[in-house]
Amino acid sequence: MDALLNQAFAGLSMASILLIVGLGLAIIYGSMGVINLAHGEFVMLGAYVAWAMQTFLGFSILTSLPLIFVVIAFVGWLVERGVVHRLYRRPLDTILATWGIGIVLQQLVRMFIGPESRFVATPSLLEGNTVIGAVVMSNYRLFVIVFALAVLAATWALMTRTEFGTRLRAVIQNREISECYGIRAEKVYAMTFAYGAGLAGVAGALLTPLVSTTPSMGTYLVVDAFLVVIIGGVGSLIGTAVAAAAVGEATALFSMLMNDTLGRIAVLLAIILLIRFRPNGLFPQTIRR
Amino acid sequence: MNRTNKYDFLGYIAFAVIILLGVPFLLGFDGFELNTFARYLALAMVAMALALSWGTAGLLNLGQAATFGIGSYVMAMHLKLAASTNNPGGMPDFMGWTNVESLPWFWQPFHSLTVTLLAGLLLPAAVAGLMAAFMFRGRITGVFVAIITLAFMVALQLVFIEEQRFTGGQNGLTGLAPLSLPGWTVDTYSLSFYYLVAGCLIVALLLGMLVVRSKVGLVLRAIREDASRVRYFGYDVASYETFVFCLSAAIAGWAGMLYTLVLEFASPTYMSVSFSLAIVIWCAVGGRESLVWAAVGAILVNLAEGRLSDVFVEGWLLILGLVFILFVIFLPRGLYGLALAMVDRLRGAPRTDATLPVKEG
Amino acid sequence: MTVLDIQNLTVQFGGLKAVNGLNLQVKMGELRCLLGPNGAGKSTTLDLICGKTRATSGKIMFDGTDITELAEYRRARCGIGRKFQVPSVFKELTVIENIEIARSRRPGLWAALSTFRTPIRGRVKDVLDRVSLVEHIDTKAGNLSHGQTQWLEIAMLLAQDSKLILMDEPTAGMTIQETLKTAEIFNSLRGEHTIIVVEHDMQFVRQVAQRVTVMNQGSVLADGSIAEIEADARVKAVYLGH
Repeated sequence: MDALLNQAFAGLSMASILLIVGLGLAIIYGSMGVINLAHGEFVMLGAYVAWAMQTFLGFSILTSLPLIFVVIAFVGWLVERGVVHRLYRRPLDTILATWGIGIVLQQLVRMFIGPESRFVATPSLLEGNTVIGAVVMSNYRLFVIVFALAVLAATWALMTRTEFGTRLRAVIQNREISECYGIRAEKVYAMTFAYGAGLAGVAGALLTPLVSTTPSMGTYLVVDAFLVVIIGGVGSLIGTAVAAAAVGEATALFSMLMNDTLGRIAVLLAIILLIRFRPNGLFPQTIRR
Repeated sequence: MNRTNKYDFLGYIAFAVIILLGVPFLLGFDGFELNTFARYLALAMVAMALALSWGTAGLLNLGQAATFGIGSYVMAMHLKLAASTNNPGGMPDFMGWTNVESLPWFWQPFHSLTVTLLAGLLLPAAVAGLMAAFMFRGRITGVFVAIITLAFMVALQLVFIEEQRFTGGQNGLTGLAPLSLPGWTVDTYSLSFYYLVAGCLIVALLLGMLVVRSKVGLVLRAIREDASRVRYFGYDVASYETFVFCLSAAIAGWAGMLYTLVLEFASPTYMSVSFSLAIVIWCAVGGRESLVWAAVGAILVNLAEGRLSDVFVEGWLLILGLVFILFVIFLPRGLYGLALAMVDRLRGAPRTDATLPVKEG
Repeated sequence: MTVLDIQNLTVQFGGLKAVNGLNLQVKMGELRCLLGPNGAGKSTTLDLICGKTRATSGKIMFDGTDITELAEYRRARCGIGRKFQVPSVFKELTVIENIEIARSRRPGLWAALSTFRTPIRGRVKDVLDRVSLVEHIDTKAGNLSHGQTQWLEIAMLLAQDSKLILMDEPTAGMTIQETLKTAEIFNSLRGEHTIIVVEHDMQFVRQVAQRVTVMNQGSVLADGSIAEIEADARVKAVYLGH
């Protein structure tokens, strides 16, 4: 029973990371209809920036987080302006192009930083554990959970309480009409993509003390994050949060009860079945046409 | 039907002549070079199989490598059994190491050459057919076809790696016997083997072109544009889509069998994400709308890889990725679109825009 | 003889009943016009007949068969053709290829595998002549003018040769001459085919309609000859507002 609770806690902290990655993916998909297969590489880049900040400047990830967000958001902005925005009416081609970008980013890191694993330390402020009953909770993991909830709240506020959010929602509803009212859809899209990418970067940085940093670390994560987006449905932040918790916990349980491979297969089958039978989780709400 | 038909047919003849006469001559009938080129031809075949579903019907199968892999394992199982006749129980060596008691039932039929050849075509077709019926009866289209096929392939690859006792796991199937056809033991470094592979490619292309030129091809192109409109004319869209997936898978399986012969082993990397992406890249470079050009794309990219990857060991993947992105953005119709535009300019006809995207459903 | 019999048909989108307890009978060879203010449920009725939308309750009988639950392509095979409000042709295909798709006597896969081209004679030639597209057979449909695109879709429906043809605003965007010619074609089809037309252009309706059905809020408001309808006080009230 204790083992189960501890596992559940570990699952919750993974779910928090998934939530941040999934939020970025869901926002990009929900607003532009772009399935961003380079999202995992944004996560990976975030992790590498965190590693570089620690290795070369001695900054802990807590100090680096704002900068990492900005850097990866900028990378996302470049990708959007350079590639994605040319492909808006060609969803299949966007998949291919972002896949290509993922490969290029991975290969760049492999060539210039090296294929070997890198390690980043837990911030000294968050070392140690909090023990409640039999559950040992590392302070860092607790921080990740709280941070993810804060990101969720901030995103919600951004979407519903700011001028930017209003513009974005207008563009999603009808791009042409929004442009007639002076909203520059291109700019809104670029900012949205950048925000999603920035979140991925932050998630990557938060991951560094938990897993080793490698050029291909994003690939696995993005599959799970994609599952989160499918389950949660687009346009629902709460849905994404619930789905992230579900996937995180399920994966934790699976890896305890079965082996990892079977867990992966289960995730993949879940994706296939959900797309096939619950496609409405994927599309914006159906309206009469 | 339309104007491009004539060119397609001329292109096909030219391609066949080059492959059958030009290439062996240029390579100086050198066994090693011929073997390398035979490998490119097998890859050209799987690229052409992808173009069949992607270019014609707009159904992007990101799991094309799965059916290719099944074909290659089928052939490898036959050759492995042939190489294991002296082992206890006629079992492949790796089964002995992992304490498998006796040859599993699903290995048994592959003693027979006929069963193997049929299975190499029909098994991939059946698997793809089930997937296709599952998706297309539910009217899954566009990017979701891509995601489902990709997820399926990754799951399949995981199974092949995990079930090491039966599949050789990460190592795949190695130590294979040469293929014995009635009256001919295949030497993979010979001219006749090259002609076997080249002949298969040319027949497969002809088969594909016949389908594309028939009304099925026309209906598939209509489906790419507006599947629901096609339904109101009485066509059962799902069965057309399923058919093209099956055909594409059978050809991919066929290519996989040849690939195992060329490389003399089968490996789970044949059904990996990166291999599947490579197939997509070849198609995109050559031109997804034309079967011949997709094949040409595969040959050109692999030729370039063969020459360049020695020079830029690390950077090859980077170059390939960049080239791919540039093609998707600026030349979505690939070299085929470029060729069409050039022909039109020479004829002074209204220009075909090579940079215009291919319509998606 | 009644070829289409709609009984108590209802469809609900969320809280809105777009079609509400509709009853409609159309005879063989009849040309029926459907009128009504915006949102009366005319297009939705066509959607329900051709299978684009599934009914919440009620029944559609076509030629003695219950088609309420059939898939679109099966209804097309029963002999129901549809022209959409926004011209829906295959823009990437040439005119003749569009016609070939539409001419779907044998829509099965195996028949299609052994068909390589449709010769331009017989009905295909006749249809192309009627809509004056013979010189354009190798033009991509995407390069046709708006009027020609409308013609092409009409030609496709003629090539399809359905027993029942559903037309949603066939003259939208046409010039007066083009509209006249469309009326001519419709009149010549009368008897051969059963046609249901949704149309706003009253000029056109007067030229073609035998019988007119006026819908309002998802059900039939009035039904009769064009003269009867134009004299009907309830119809006037609906059009002018309450």
